[in-house]
Amino acid sequence: MRTPSSRPRPTPSRPPLSSRPLDTDKLYTARLQAVRARPYLASALFALHVVESESVPTMAVDGYWRCYVSPGFVERTPVEELAGVWVHEVSHLLRDHHGRGDRVARARGLEGAGERLRMNIAADLEINDDIYGDGLVRPSGAVTPAGLRLREGLLMEEYLREFQLGPSTAEFVWLDCGSGADGRARGWDLGPDGADGLTEQQRDAVRFRVAEAVKGAPGDAPEGWKRWAETAFHPPQPWLELLGAALRSAVSGAGAGQDYSYGRPARRASSLPGVVLPSLRRRPPRVAVVIDTSGSVSDAELGSALLEVAAITRAVGGRRDLVTVVSCDAAARVAHPLCRAEDIPLIGGGGTDLRAGFTTALRTRPDVVVALTDGQTPWPPQPPCRTVVGLFPRTGRGRWRETDPTYVPEAPPGWAKVVEIG
Amino acid sequence: MPENTQLSLADDLLALLSDTTTEPRPDQQLEALTLAVAADLPVLLWGEPGIGKTAALNQLAESLELPLTTVIASVHEPSDFAGLPVVGDDPAVQGVPMAPPDWAVRLVRAGRGLLFLDELSTAPPAVQAALLRLVLERRIGALRLPPGVRIVAAANPRSSAADGWELSAPLANRFVHLQWVHDHDVVVRGLGGTWPRASLPVLDPGKLAGSVEYARRAVCGLLAVRPKLVHQMPSAETRRGGAWASPRSWDMALRLVAFATAAGASREVLSMLVRGTVGDGPGLELLACVDRLDLPDPESVLADPANAELPTRGDLRQAVLDGVVEAVRSRPTRARWDSAWAVLVHALETGAPDLVVVPASTLASLRREEWDVPVEIERLAGVVALSRGADRAAAKVRAGAGS
Repeated sequence: MRTPSSRPRPTPSRPPLSSRPLDTDKLYTARLQAVRARPYLASALFALHVVESESVPTMAVDGYWRCYVSPGFVERTPVEELAGVWVHEVSHLLRDHHGRGDRVARARGLEGAGERLRMNIAADLEINDDIYGDGLVRPSGAVTPAGLRLREGLLMEEYLREFQLGPSTAEFVWLDCGSGADGRARGWDLGPDGADGLTEQQRDAVRFRVAEAVKGAPGDAPEGWKRWAETAFHPPQPWLELLGAALRSAVSGAGAGQDYSYGRPARRASSLPGVVLPSLRRRPPRVAVVIDTSGSVSDAELGSALLEVAAITRAVGGRRDLVTVVSCDAAARVAHPLCRAEDIPLIGGGGTDLRAGFTTALRTRPDVVVALTDGQTPWPPQPPCRTVVGLFPRTGRGRWRETDPTYVPEAPPGWAKVVEIG
Repeated sequence: MPENTQLSLADDLLALLSDTTTEPRPDQQLEALTLAVAADLPVLLWGEPGIGKTAALNQLAESLELPLTTVIASVHEPSDFAGLPVVGDDPAVQGVPMAPPDWAVRLVRAGRGLLFLDELSTAPPAVQAALLRLVLERRIGALRLPPGVRIVAAANPRSSAADGWELSAPLANRFVHLQWVHDHDVVVRGLGGTWPRASLPVLDPGKLAGSVEYARRAVCGLLAVRPKLVHQMPSAETRRGGAWASPRSWDMALRLVAFATAAGASREVLSMLVRGTVGDGPGLELLACVDRLDLPDPESVLADPANAELPTRGDLRQAVLDGVVEAVRSRPTRARWDSAWAVLVHALETGAPDLVVVPASTLASLRREEWDVPVEIERLAGVVALSRGADRAAAKVRAGAGS
């Protein structure tokens, strides 16, 4: 955490020495206030183990849920700001910033202390844009998206792309929330074998209790926390891989693709007289792709999804005469050029009603129908074949019907495999 | 140079390469696998290709002293598992027997063994269908596998499977799903010449009866208060094919808790097993329930406040204190009320003061008119000051927000 910029800044390497003991009463008073302001974070706040440390500039956490506290920082910070710092630090741990920091560092090749500082700032931005207010003050000098002229409500990984170290971040260069915020080990860390650390299972249990508490108090928790609680144990999955898996599973299931049959004797049978063996027969599936090209689906969304579908159908079928694409709108801007590139025949459909698209698609008697849509459409009754629905996510800003304000689009039906795209 | 010299040199080089040592190293995945196999539950290992699932199975078979039979599912035909129909002299009289393959005959004759069904996810659907009958009913053709045979299967995750196969919900429900990942340090050290040697969990004969009682208490205690957890079909596409809660999988979880307790396994291992059986959410709730079982019983804390062993972790300590206050509320007597104050004073002297605030105010509200304020309350003055401090800070925040 940080102190106001008006105060002399401690250097990162050597903060001012203080011989005074830690004022635990003040620290715990602040924790009590934090618990009263954010009751759903109580188990996480109480699970933190306080370690007094002279080498920490302010307050810092490690991945084992220890909280290192500088006595001098506690002394010069008012109780209500300390409460905000408590919640800030515990948020780093709940949102797994050290694990995510490591993953980002590996994925994007971000090495070195400078990059880790950027991660710390990005993690702070993710936290600071929604935890304060409503009984909790933002500590003075806290880094905010507005201060760096960035949008609010992004994730750490997104903020990382948005800024570079420079004059605007100069006042935060000494900022340090510890290894719990960015994954880089610090000198003061007690490490995995030190006393009072939480094991992975204990950390999961605490995070789970907090997630349940947030879900149990939906009125009190801000949006950011609710989103976190939803995804804490079920992180969103890579949709490209899921779409691929759903499609492969649909085309290789019984009734299509490659499977055993007793229709003709196996080649192996000649060496085993008296034994009846099935033989392996391959029947490539017919695939029909129904694309909802109404205005609410963006070109980029469609393009990426369609490329993947084309690649998969190439892999499983290989025969272009078996693939049909039906666009469910007159303005098939993306679908046409793409399909020309992939040499897939395009059959026009009408309207934005997906039922019409399905009717057209079923005329080619496919084994699998793949529908790419934002889901805001009426659905046909169960078609006589396997169906994979790639769903572009739409939250809150659904299409409406002018004549009927209470109109709610139907959700994708249960008979289809549904993959959330994006 | 003559060829045979070259070959013998190559042999020497190979011998040098295979000359590796082992070091003891705890391996939680292997422990979890051992316990599940010991508990005679079919295990499904999910893992990317080439990360040592087969090597782990070899080590497991060695340590359990079971002969290992590996069957690569993807190179077999369905009839290899369902039995080969052999036409005899007069099928109408004798019927057509389904002849089992040789490995199954050997397994049955041995009476015990570890059957490893590898590459489950790359086998064609008809082969998988035949395999599932083997896993569920333990039947191969006309043969039935003896109880001494344990079954482990391995599959690639959907994202990396060569062709898509996913478990239907009823089948997924019968497996203990273990995610198999490689440990970077182990791989680097192993390639450097030192492979890990895990010490596997051993059941303690003295703990058997106690662990059954413990497991029943944990599972029943949870399901009694959370009836919704008994049956939770997975709905989202992303969670399909994984573990989910049903009476069957709860029965498996109960068995695993008992085995883990009898073997003294760590919470990490139990966590893997339980979450791999009933799913993440119900699994975590069961683990929380097990954690609570390990907390001191409120009644015994009330009986002897001065010597009560309160946990050091703040959230657990708060849970104990809340439990003590709840116990007083459920059966309020003067003696119990006084004793609870003594517990709070004990908690204050041994740990963080802010944990005591809420239980203290709840306990104070339980006071009857004829009860005098105990002397111990004096020693809680610091807690009152702390609480007031927090109130003041909150008031300052409110004032700041209003201005």
